[in-house]
Amino acid sequence: MSRIEAKKPSLCTNEPLTKERVSFSLSVLSGIVKSCYGPTGRLKQLHNGMGGYVRTTSQSSALLGGLSITHPVLKVLTASVQNHISRFSDCGLFTAILCCSLVENFQRINFAACTVTKISRHLLSLCTDYLKSEACGCRISVDFDSIKTLLSLVHSVLASKPACMLNKTEANHLSTLVLKAFLLTIPHTVETNVVLGKCVIVPVKDKRVMDSTVFPGLLIEIPESQLARTFPVIRVSSSTIKMALFCISLSGDLSNIGEGTVIVHHGISLEVAVLDQLLNLGKQLINDQVDLVVCQKVIHPSLKQYLEEHRVITIDRVGVSMMEPLSQMTGSQPIAALHSVSPTCYGSLKDLRTESFVSKNFLHLIPNDTLVCSLILCNRNEMAWDELKLACQTAEHVLQLTIKQPLALLGGGCTETHLASYIRHKSFTLPASVLKAIDCSRTQYQLVADAFSRSLECVACCLEHDDGEILTDMVYGHFWSVQSGFPSDCNWSDLVLKCGCGICSNQQNLNWTVLQSQCIPFTPQSCSNEPSVNSTDHLVLDCFTAKCSGLQVAVETTNLILDLSYIVEDQN
Amino acid sequence: MASAASLDVGRLVQEAEALASAVRGALGPRGGQMLLTRPTGETLLTRDGRRVLEALNLGPPTARMMVACVSRHHSMTGDGAKTFIILLSKLLRGLQAILDKREGSPFCEDIQRRESYQKHCHSLKQISQSLMTFQTHILDHIMAQDLRKHFLSAFSSWEGEISRDTMESILEAYFCGRIGNSHQKLLSQLSCDFYYKCISFKNGRNEMLNLVNEYFVELHSAVTGLPVSNSRILEGFVLHRDFAVYCPADGDIRMLIVTESIDSALSASGLEFVVNAEVQYQASQVWITKRTEAIMKHLQNNNIKVLLSSVKQQEIVIYYAKISGISIVECLSSEEISLLCKTTGISPFIPTRDNICSEITETMIAKFCQPLVLGSKRYVHLGLTKTCAFQPHCVIFCGPVHGVTEQHASAFHGAFKMLQQLFKAVDLSDGCEAQPETPVNASKAVHCNWQHSATQQKLIMENISCNREKVNGQQLKTSMAETEKQFIDFSSLVGENPSCNQTDLQKSADLAMPIVELESDFMFSALIDRGSSVRELQKPPVKCQHPSETWIKNKSEPVVTNHRICNDAMTAIENTSTSVVSKQLNAAKEYWKPGNHIVPFMYEKSYKHTVQSYTNVVIQAGSVLPVGGNFEILLHYYLHSYAKQCQQPKITLISTVIADALLSIPKILYSTTKENSFTQVFFKATSALQTNQQLPMHQEGLESVYCKYQLVASVLHCVAKLLTIDLIIGIRRLPQKTEVNDSEEDL
Repeated sequence: MSRIEAKKPSLCTNEPLTKERVSFSLSVLSGIVKSCYGPTGRLKQLHNGMGGYVRTTSQSSALLGGLSITHPVLKVLTASVQNHISRFSDCGLFTAILCCSLVENFQRINFAACTVTKISRHLLSLCTDYLKSEACGCRISVDFDSIKTLLSLVHSVLASKPACMLNKTEANHLSTLVLKAFLLTIPHTVETNVVLGKCVIVPVKDKRVMDSTVFPGLLIEIPESQLARTFPVIRVSSSTIKMALFCISLSGDLSNIGEGTVIVHHGISLEVAVLDQLLNLGKQLINDQVDLVVCQKVIHPSLKQYLEEHRVITIDRVGVSMMEPLSQMTGSQPIAALHSVSPTCYGSLKDLRTESFVSKNFLHLIPNDTLVCSLILCNRNEMAWDELKLACQTAEHVLQLTIKQPLALLGGGCTETHLASYIRHKSFTLPASVLKAIDCSRTQYQLVADAFSRSLECVACCLEHDDGEILTDMVYGHFWSVQSGFPSDCNWSDLVLKCGCGICSNQQNLNWTVLQSQCIPFTPQSCSNEPSVNSTDHLVLDCFTAKCSGLQVAVETTNLILDLSYIVEDQN
Repeated sequence: MASAASLDVGRLVQEAEALASAVRGALGPRGGQMLLTRPTGETLLTRDGRRVLEALNLGPPTARMMVACVSRHHSMTGDGAKTFIILLSKLLRGLQAILDKREGSPFCEDIQRRESYQKHCHSLKQISQSLMTFQTHILDHIMAQDLRKHFLSAFSSWEGEISRDTMESILEAYFCGRIGNSHQKLLSQLSCDFYYKCISFKNGRNEMLNLVNEYFVELHSAVTGLPVSNSRILEGFVLHRDFAVYCPADGDIRMLIVTESIDSALSASGLEFVVNAEVQYQASQVWITKRTEAIMKHLQNNNIKVLLSSVKQQEIVIYYAKISGISIVECLSSEEISLLCKTTGISPFIPTRDNICSEITETMIAKFCQPLVLGSKRYVHLGLTKTCAFQPHCVIFCGPVHGVTEQHASAFHGAFKMLQQLFKAVDLSDGCEAQPETPVNASKAVHCNWQHSATQQKLIMENISCNREKVNGQQLKTSMAETEKQFIDFSSLVGENPSCNQTDLQKSADLAMPIVELESDFMFSALIDRGSSVRELQKPPVKCQHPSETWIKNKSEPVVTNHRICNDAMTAIENTSTSVVSKQLNAAKEYWKPGNHIVPFMYEKSYKHTVQSYTNVVIQAGSVLPVGGNFEILLHYYLHSYAKQCQQPKITLISTVIADALLSIPKILYSTTKENSFTQVFFKATSALQTNQQLPMHQEGLESVYCKYQLVASVLHCVAKLLTIDLIIGIRRLPQKTEVNDSEEDL
């Protein structure tokens, strides 16, 4: 009882945002996330200082998961970014950077929190309405007839992760694989409720990236000794292999004894009784002409041997995670009974092969209807492999989100600059009735709108890490970057080649200016009619759903942070 | 004993003001958000005064007591925690000013007692008593006589229909004080929709509100990582589990609830299973499998499509369910099961030998039963066709962080608690109404209402049992049985000569058990005070019952009569003791008298109100007032005018202090706005009242009068309770409650 300590009183902070501690930690965090952004982002090395695993990354999920944040305000910020990542996988850094710069910019204009909150909510609704409207100039619809836009989406995700250490051909190869794997998970027959299949990533860590490949069906690793014993397979007919899938243990242990006592007379062995039942089951399986028995748990060696003697292949200990794809792919139902197995539970396979990679041997289960596929992901470097796996999963998630909402946003900073000019333009033409409803003056509204646009542009600026100059055009409001070291007397049009997303090229006089310089507000045009939309080059595209939600989350989190008037920290 | 300190009002004031300063920033529609961190590292956003105060982890026992009072009040009404603590601090500050004045104060006179310490205690005690008197009688009186005419009704007609506009303005006003200003509109819309969607017919309102409040945890789900604007209401229930087996079904889906495993085990607890031969074991295994199969087939034949189970089912059950096309949801919480049973009125199915062949009747019908993905979690979405007064709907709260969804959920829950309060009709003389048929229950109910912290509650429980031992059981019984008669006696007594004879007093005294406790307390301390050792005083350690708590429980009693009554009752109970004791007692009785100035007033008042409480219901169900400190200003105004005409100096003083403390709330509310400064608002309101006009309204929105009334009453109780403490003693015995408020009556 003496171990119970009195609770320490909590630490209270009034007006936390005015404190030095917050602005300092915020600037550190925003420095970290800003420097990671984009294809040329700087890598961060995370380590625990005690010889633990070192992770090199530039991805928000790994980065924010690794940082230990103590300040409560920053905890709110990182928690909301992490929650966003767990929903959408993509656009984590975008959300984090936007949130940090919004907080910084709004603090600078120093209005009452409720005024800023109201106006920024209105600005957010302007943005989301615009993005969702047909007139939106920074989105394109995804055409599923051609794989070009889908491939661009995947490529943009992989290319924005510099820690994967991919060169151009590798990036192209992997993009194709990821897209192929995704297409394999789409069912052939579409009913009302579409359930996507699964892509299982199989790690092979000592081969080149270019050796990565996709197999339809599942790969199950088996020891080499078993490989020799099981082949060749005898099959019922040339086209199908009958398969039984068990989800209970076939090891012969006694199950479900109950809460009472079981008295066993001398000389009676329950193990023998159970094994007897197992062998009976084996007999039934052989009679039913099953060729393959897969068990989630352990199969008793005697049963295994018995089945193998009768040329039935057995695979056990596949684990619970494989059960769903297995039953999905083969149409078999997991069996949980030892007696009278119903023949309707059996599933079928098209073929069974062996594959081997380096030192690993796999049994390759080929289904009739591919819903499940295996992506063999190779990378020589352990650290880069982890990063690559994460990137591939992100890309897969982005594709899944895109299939739900077939839209994509222009990447490479173009959406941000385009939105910023849209907001600036809107803030000048806002009807007075709206201002009255928000209860603020036009100047107030314009100042907040300017801070909002600045923050968006700030995100775009973070794409440039090498002191280059960032421009925007006055027609489309796109993002153009110029490498550093250009002569001071030349025209902007001589220096720029293509905009960030790759849609616009330096064709006509687009009237460039330096980004974030004072300029006259204009209505940004849509460029979806540009010829380059249909060219063969990769565009840089972002996931629509993830970015829209990221934008909303960032603004909402900023409002939360600005609204804080008091912090109570529990010191226990 | 480690340390003992006497109660210092100055410290109380400091503590209360420190607490008030913590929540002041969050008060009112312009208040900011607070961020709390937990020891586990998670963060929580809140504007809930109770959460903030509890998170402070305060050390001083009196401050903890204040927080406990706030929590108690808040969990009852779902509102008013911030106002509570601000009002408390102002009230204590006002009372401290009275105490400091000393000279000329009605609370400090005619004490020829020795030490200033005792003098101090005496005046504290007097104030506490006056506060209670005020709460039980004068507050009610003013509410009934003066404030009532300003109340508006939330109902559009007296049939009990509430219009959507009114509902919206009530809810909007509530959310203004509870969540961040960017989502107030959204949540008040959401809660308004929820109210109207859930209610199936208007008489089922209370039943629906009770269900929503009781099962709110089951009726909402939170999704983090999505914008708040994605929050929505879904029709039907969301069960917080995934399907163990899902077999899609169309049309009307018959469902069954089970609370035990369908598969039977070899043996059950208390039973033995004897294995004689291997064949027998195998046969029994086969029999079990066959039985499970038969049950599932039976369910299939009865067209059951979904099985809702509170326990985990065996794999074999799942296997046969899949074959029979039955979906299973398992591991449902007991709350979810009871919610389903309540709304559909069915009971769980238990497979036995008998009903395995008969038709299954205890089923419910669902329109749909399908998987629902919320965030990364998979749930079961269930739409029932036939339900009770509650139309099942549930709320999905979305937000970027867990702290936000939790804040919204708790505010939403609070709003429904507040609505529950809104529809309560109130007899103002809540305490006086001590229902004749169940006096003990009534006193217990009051006890529950006003008992604040768990530790104190425990203490009292101990105390009661302790007293039970002391008091002759039989006597207690008779006194309970006689209460009805006694109550009548009591009311007749009121008109009688104050110097009643002993038996009469005793009869009316035993209205409720707590008096018995009280009496022994008082008597023991009186005896100690006199240095008497006539009787063996085996004072048990738990006998540190605070008199004020007893007062609280006895608040239905006119305060002063208790003193007298208890003396006499004591005499009667302990009539086995020697005459020396009764002599001492009489002496003690004499000692009581000088302090009892307010006796005649008390008698008169209490009588009047007992009568009133039976003729008048003073706050009708659904009474509301416009927000923006209107209630406080009104009460302030009427208290002042009451104080002017009141003959009792103590009551006058107390009324003035309370009236002034009340003004602190509108002062804070109007401190940040530019257009309406507090002085302007107050001036306009007072002049309107003087000319008998309606109050000018500054903001839209309405609030429940019942909640406000409860708030003032709770604050007065809390202050009264605090002031009757005289010693704070730190003990080491119970580490989980390191400090126990201890007191001795030394008057």
